[in-house]
Amino acid sequence: MAPKTAAKAVKRPKAKAKAKPAKRPPDIAKAEPALFDPLTPGEVADALRTLTEDRRLASMAKVGRYRVITTEPLVVKPPHLLSGHRLARVVAYDYSSDRAVDACVDLDAGVVVHLDLDRSQPMLSVAEEALAVSVAMVDERVRAKLAMGDSPQSTLHYWGRTSNDLAYARRAAAVVFGRSDGHASVIAVVDLLDQIVTQVVPAELW
Amino acid sequence: MSNVIEEANWKFHWRLTESAGIMIYLADYKGRRVLWEGSLPYVTIDHQRQELSPDQDAAEPHGPWWVPLGTRTIAGPVRVQSFRGGVELSANFVAGPYHYMQLWRFHDDGRLCPWLTILGPGVHDQHTYHPHFRFDFDLDGAGDDAIERFEEGHWQRVEHEGWFPYSGEADDHGNVWRQIDFGSRATINIRPHSWDDAEVFAIRYHDGEWAPFTPRSAAGSQPFPAGYVGDEEIDGQDVSLWYVAHVHFDQSFPYTAGPWIRVEGLG
Repeated sequence: MAPKTAAKAVKRPKAKAKAKPAKRPPDIAKAEPALFDPLTPGEVADALRTLTEDRRLASMAKVGRYRVITTEPLVVKPPHLLSGHRLARVVAYDYSSDRAVDACVDLDAGVVVHLDLDRSQPMLSVAEEALAVSVAMVDERVRAKLAMGDSPQSTLHYWGRTSNDLAYARRAAAVVFGRSDGHASVIAVVDLLDQIVTQVVPAELW
Repeated sequence: MSNVIEEANWKFHWRLTESAGIMIYLADYKGRRVLWEGSLPYVTIDHQRQELSPDQDAAEPHGPWWVPLGTRTIAGPVRVQSFRGGVELSANFVAGPYHYMQLWRFHDDGRLCPWLTILGPGVHDQHTYHPHFRFDFDLDGAGDDAIERFEEGHWQRVEHEGWFPYSGEADDHGNVWRQIDFGSRATINIRPHSWDDAEVFAIRYHDGEWAPFTPRSAAGSQPFPAGYVGDEEIDGQDVSLWYVAHVHFDQSFPYTAGPWIRVEGLG
């Protein structure tokens, strides 16, 4: 079969080819750049209040074992119904149900307009990074492997490759210890649900 | 510093994100819309064994990890600099043993370079970087666009969502993928770096399938963006493109990953 080419005879996309001449969709070139601006502290607070008052998240809010990962502006393009609205995307991790929360809050209307609850693993929050470091720092197996001058250099979001690894399905962080010149010495994997160190590995063996 | 830059035939906005580096949005070339939004959602890192003895399992013992490039890891300011024939944004990010410089370069002839310079050094030498770039192109408007891939000596229409690795075939200019606007006949051509081992995912827009804040979907499931790939038609639809590079560390680092993108036929 001859390949379809667009370079010589331009073939219009199917969906358009079948349609009758219709009015053009709203012009995305008129999108409002200000909608992309970072959220103000008040908008962040507004988004989190709206989210935690949503009945679908009542159990999460009541137990209070969740971490907000990030709250950022979200902009959808015309002709979506929400285009032109000031939207906040809130990503959180609900430890009480071991699930990720990915929500879109319409700040103009004060409602949650999209909510995903699933088993994905969003990036670590600042608080989770700090927790992982504090758990690793007091672990005797970690301390025994640290050399003079070693300190936590970074905390990464880690997951196991196979189901043999506890971090395969559970929320985990890897704390890289080393010197400030970039040399890594020891890696500690921290299970964030139980707040324990599950692996201590010399960096060269990682 | 203003986050709107109008120079070298381009007008675009930028902001530093929490996890996706410097995001470019509402970018116009010669007064016509090219890009709704482009970013670098994540750079994952895999490790391989330094040495392997005959009695060891060849499988890598550890999974991947990543750290967001954004407000937490930026080292210094976002720089805006003019160069001969264009303007560029750059910023450095540091996360322990991982050092990066993200670049967005805009040329007056329509070239656009979303690049990532990877400096290393990592926790040891045997590791591979996987930068994931995401582009939501709206060439002269959101509709009336199609995606094509150069294959078997021709440009071929991509009719369904999917994964399209670079097979080694390219047109005379090195382009492997392109987005065409049928109203203006303008194109966005994507040329991979020869050593990127690059692949492109074309994914139809859906509510909730925004740039994810992680590559990690549920245990046992495909990571993102592969987790978004279904079998939906994309002809004439709103589509996002992911360009993923796979770069193994070696002693000749730094290495700069990312595609050449060129807008043609506008203006």
